[in-house]
Amino acid sequence: MKLCCRIPLANFNLDIEVSFDARVTAIFGPSGSGKTTLLDAIAGLRSITTGEIEISGSTLFSSARGINCPPRERGIGYVPQEAGLFPHLSVRKNILFGAGRSTGISQSKQIRMEHVLSVLEIGGLLDRPVTKLSGGEAQRVALARAILSQPRLLLLDEPLASLDISLKEKILPYLARVRDEFEIPMIYVTHSLTEVLTLADWVLMIRQGRLVTQGVPKEALRSTHAILQIPEGQAENVFTVAFVESDAEAGQTRVRLQAGHELFVPYLPEPENHTLQIRISADDILIATKRPEGISASNVLPGIVRTIDAVDGQVMVTVAAGDEFYARLTAAAVKRLNLVEETPVFLIMKTRSFRLL
Amino acid sequence: MLFFSFETWQITLFSLAVGLASTLLILPFGIAFAWLFARKDWPLKSVVETLVLLPLVMPPVSTGLILLKIFGRRSPLGQWLYERGIEIVFNWKGVLIAMSVMSFPLLVRSVRTSFAEVNPRLEQIAATLGASPLRIFFVITIPLAYKGIVAGALLAFSRALGEFGATILLAGNIPGETQTLSLAIYSFVQLGKDPEAFTLLGITVALAFIFVWCSEWLLRSSKKA
Repeated sequence: MKLCCRIPLANFNLDIEVSFDARVTAIFGPSGSGKTTLLDAIAGLRSITTGEIEISGSTLFSSARGINCPPRERGIGYVPQEAGLFPHLSVRKNILFGAGRSTGISQSKQIRMEHVLSVLEIGGLLDRPVTKLSGGEAQRVALARAILSQPRLLLLDEPLASLDISLKEKILPYLARVRDEFEIPMIYVTHSLTEVLTLADWVLMIRQGRLVTQGVPKEALRSTHAILQIPEGQAENVFTVAFVESDAEAGQTRVRLQAGHELFVPYLPEPENHTLQIRISADDILIATKRPEGISASNVLPGIVRTIDAVDGQVMVTVAAGDEFYARLTAAAVKRLNLVEETPVFLIMKTRSFRLL
Repeated sequence: MLFFSFETWQITLFSLAVGLASTLLILPFGIAFAWLFARKDWPLKSVVETLVLLPLVMPPVSTGLILLKIFGRRSPLGQWLYERGIEIVFNWKGVLIAMSVMSFPLLVRSVRTSFAEVNPRLEQIAATLGASPLRIFFVITIPLAYKGIVAGALLAFSRALGEFGATILLAGNIPGETQTLSLAIYSFVQLGKDPEAFTLLGITVALAFIFVWCSEWLLRSSKKA
C-alpha cells in the first residue's frame, strides 16, 4: 500500500510518505508521535490536508485528484485502543454489526463467523452483555467484529496497551493466530518493541510525525535512532525456535535456533506446534571475552561483535552467534572488556531468563 | 363518585392530552435540532441555538404576544391559515402551540446533552464497519442517548402542563375549551373558589413530582451506565 499524508497537529505536522507491502506492518514510536492520527487518516476518520492513500491498487484518498472515499466504503476494519464495543448491544450483535456489508468478495472466500470464534476462542461469550467482558475479552470481540466485516485491511491501535502484563502475554498469541489464519494485511500501532518483534514483518518507526526509519524489524531496530526510542526495559530479543525435547524433572526444554545452535529454556510440555517464540531481554545477556567455567547459566554461545552503538552511557551491542543477539551493557563494561567490532565473545544466558510466548 | 368533580376531571384530562400532544409534536424536531447542535458545525449555529433557547428565559407573556402576532388573523400566516379553515387563536390549537414553543428549549437542551455524551468514536467505528449515517443514528446514537431523550421529553411535558403566560395570550382562558390546570387555578382563586383551586393545586404538585422524579431517575441511571 501507498501512504502519503500531511496533517497539521497541535505541536507538529504529521508528514509521512511511504509505500510498503507486508502481512503485518508495525507502526512503532513513542506516545504522542502521531500514530493514532495516521490510522484515523487511513480509515477516513480524519481529514488530510494533502496526500494520497492507496490500498491494494485502489485509491481511497487523493487530494490531487479530489478523491475521498467515505469510511464506510473503505472496507477497513479498525480496532481502536479501547476496543470501542457498542455498550448497548450484546457480544453477538457487536460481532455481526459489520457482517452484512456487501464487499464484492465471493461467498466462498468470505470469512465465516465460526472460524473467527474458534480462532479467538470467544464462542462462549456471544450472549453476554458487552459491559460484562474483561479487557482481554473485549479486545478479542472487537477484533472479531472487525474481521467479520470482511475488510481488505485491518488497523489495530495498540490493542494491548490497556491490558496488564499477564493479559498481554495471553492476547499476543491470538494476534499471531489472526495473522496466520486470515489473509488480511494488518497495520499494527504499538510502542512495545516486543510486539513489533513478535508480530510484524515490516516496521515503520515514527517520531514527532516523521518517519525515522523503516524495514524488517530486526534490521530497522539496529540503528542508533531506533535504540534511542526503545523504552526502558523493552529491549528484547525475540527468536522463533524449533522444539527439540523437554525434561520436566530438570526443569528445562531444549530448543533449536534457526541457525542451528541449541538453547535451554524453562520447561514447557511438548507443544502441538513445534515452532515457538522465545524472548530474552537485552539486559539479561552477559558478555564474556573468555569461555566461562563453573557457572550456573546453561547457555554459552560463541559469537562475534557486529555493531556497538552508544547512547547516553548505554551501549547496545549486537553479537552474531548464528542468529543475532542484542545485549545492552554500560559504557564502563564495554571499556573494561575492550569490546570493538569483530571481537570474539561468549554470550551467557540463564535458562530462566528466557520467556516463552 | 369519581373522586373529583366532572369539571376537575375535564380540566386535568384536557391539560394532559394537549400536553402529551405538544410533547409528541416537538419530539422529532427537538431530536433533530439537538443532534445538529451536538454533532455538527454550521454557520450561525450559535445564533440559532440562542433563538431556540430564548423562550426559556423570556417572559412567557412576551412569547405569547409574539405568537399572537404571528398566528392572529391579521398576520399573513394567520390569514393564510384562516382561509384554509384553520384557526389557532382562542381554541385548543393555541394551547398546543403555546405549550410546544414554551417546552421546546427544555427538550432540546436535555437531548443535546445526552447526544454530546455519546462517544463519537463509537459512531466512527460503526462507519468503518460499513454503517450508513442513518443506521448509525438509529442503531448507535439514539439507543445510547435514549434515557436523556425520555428524560427531556418528561421535562418538556411537565413544562407544558405548567404553561400559563403564553397560553393565556394565545388561547385565552375559556372554560371547557382552552382552560388548562394552571389557567383554572388562576380563575378559581380570582373567583374566591379556594377549595376547587386547592384540589387542582394538589393535582399539579402530584403530577410535577412524578415527572421530575422519573426524569431525574433516568438521567442518574444513564450517567451510571
